[in-house]
Amino acid sequence: MTAKNYAENYKGADLLAVAAAREVQDGDIVFAGTGLPMLAIALAQITNAPNAVCIYEAGSIDGRPKDLPASVGDARCATQSSVAAGLTEAFYGQLHSGYVDLAFLGGAEIDKYGNVNTTVVGDYAAPKKRFTGSGGNPDINSFARRTVFIMVQEKRRFKEHVDYITSPGWRIPEWPSGEMKSKKEVYGKFFNGGLSAVITNMAVFRFDEDGIMYLDTVHPGFTPEQVKENCEFDLNISRCRGVTERPTVEEIELLYKVVDKDGIFLP
Amino acid sequence: MGKINKITLKEAAGLIKDGDMLSFSGFTIWRRPMALIYELVRQGKKDLHLFEVNGGTHTEILAGAGCVKIWESCWVGHELYGKLGESVARGQVEGSILVEDYSHAQCVARLLAGAYGLPFFPTALSMGTDILNPKFDMLGKAGLRDGSNPKIPLKKYDTIPDPMYDMGNILLMPAANPDWALVYAQQVGDEGTVRVLAQTYVDLEVIKAAKKVIVIAEEIVPDSYLRDEPALNIAPGYAIDYVIEQPFGAHPTGSQFFYDVDADFIRAFYQASKSADGYKKFADEWIFGVDGFDEYLEKLGVNRLLKLKANSVMGYSTTMKRGTR
Repeated sequence: MTAKNYAENYKGADLLAVAAAREVQDGDIVFAGTGLPMLAIALAQITNAPNAVCIYEAGSIDGRPKDLPASVGDARCATQSSVAAGLTEAFYGQLHSGYVDLAFLGGAEIDKYGNVNTTVVGDYAAPKKRFTGSGGNPDINSFARRTVFIMVQEKRRFKEHVDYITSPGWRIPEWPSGEMKSKKEVYGKFFNGGLSAVITNMAVFRFDEDGIMYLDTVHPGFTPEQVKENCEFDLNISRCRGVTERPTVEEIELLYKVVDKDGIFLP
Repeated sequence: MGKINKITLKEAAGLIKDGDMLSFSGFTIWRRPMALIYELVRQGKKDLHLFEVNGGTHTEILAGAGCVKIWESCWVGHELYGKLGESVARGQVEGSILVEDYSHAQCVARLLAGAYGLPFFPTALSMGTDILNPKFDMLGKAGLRDGSNPKIPLKKYDTIPDPMYDMGNILLMPAANPDWALVYAQQVGDEGTVRVLAQTYVDLEVIKAAKKVIVIAEEIVPDSYLRDEPALNIAPGYAIDYVIEQPFGAHPTGSQFFYDVDADFIRAFYQASKSADGYKKFADEWIFGVDGFDEYLEKLGVNRLLKLKANSVMGYSTTMKRGTR
């Protein structure tokens, strides 16, 4: 095997896309959201996971887009798909029925258990600001065997407690009582898995046996301490394995010349 | 032989009363019944109750104009062309719009129950989230779950232990049965058979769940053409109450095999929608400043529309510039 030819020049978003693509295992059935997740699955399909397939929640199953879609409902998602159906098929026919191995999602805020907020800032009953809302994020996150979140690293986004739990992490309230329990307890025999990694512009995080986030690798140019400073909660950096593998020259070329050849998400 | 009840956009909007509950075809910025949305604003509808699996540009047009009282959904924005639903957000923060959040698949469950005549539909998706926090049952807090409005269920949801296979707790989502489904479809037959091209989103469910259905057809075609390949159709003519033939009726949202999303238009609207003032300027120009949808199309101009024209094989525009390269 020849040594990998690592890229010297790349942007933060490039590394995010490449690191996310590496989470895809060959043969995975992947649910992807709009944006970087689309780059990640498309890159994985032409590098490390040629047999992975992609489902978009608007209803295209195993599409083979010729042109990169700009959203999950885009006409481009349906090109050469095995089935072009709707949300009932995507959420119930594919997700609830247990086909989905991996999902790529995003969020505005996350806590140490991986609970994610994409709904409001402040008290929901009298919010200071509204984000887009849940979309399919909590559905996909609740039933995929592994989920990977792609997020921006900022202290105010990596919080002790999120303002609103839009999407379920590893320790969540069981309603109607609100008692905090493990995801396994809340989901009973419906439990399939859950958060596997969080990838930011600074680092890759994973979750320990108790469902608590820890630092797995830091991206080139950052230190574990810097990452810790950018978390409001007390981040465990003792398990850090070192530096995140850099993108290769080939991966960067594929991203800019094949996957996003029009410069939609990577200007 | 069936036949269709063809009406105009003005007549269609006139059928919808203040306070009615509406749902829509499409997905975020694709296949929305925009021509009719503009007409609802022009006619000054008030207190509309929207139930939709997700919102998009159409939601924001209605919300910014003050047409919306209740919004039950899970997401609103303009995808890549506007990251938030500014008017819904402003309405929620100011308290002028009552927002009830569900998850995407929970909204689908509500429509499935409504479509199939069931009082509720079970789902195990999105348990353990604040969507289910009883403190955040906003219609309940507003005293609207007392049974007086037949469109509002007595509970936001319920939880039961699975009585059949002991799988654990499962959610029951109440049926949604809107007064109106406002649908945009690429092809409607002259007997009312409906076909959409590519993804069907939740159109089948919305059509079945609603009491009355209005379809904007990009084109009306012989029913026999659609009946040659019945597996591609989504609804029989008898499920459709009114049909409007309106080319480009989904603009600025996209219509597979006819035209792409008008990204520049949506971006400009999104920027305008960031303030009530900006919205008003937009509406004065594009909604109140034109006499109807034909004048709106004339104002857009043929060159702009041609750029959006879909490649007839690929189903989307292959000529417009989409990104920076």
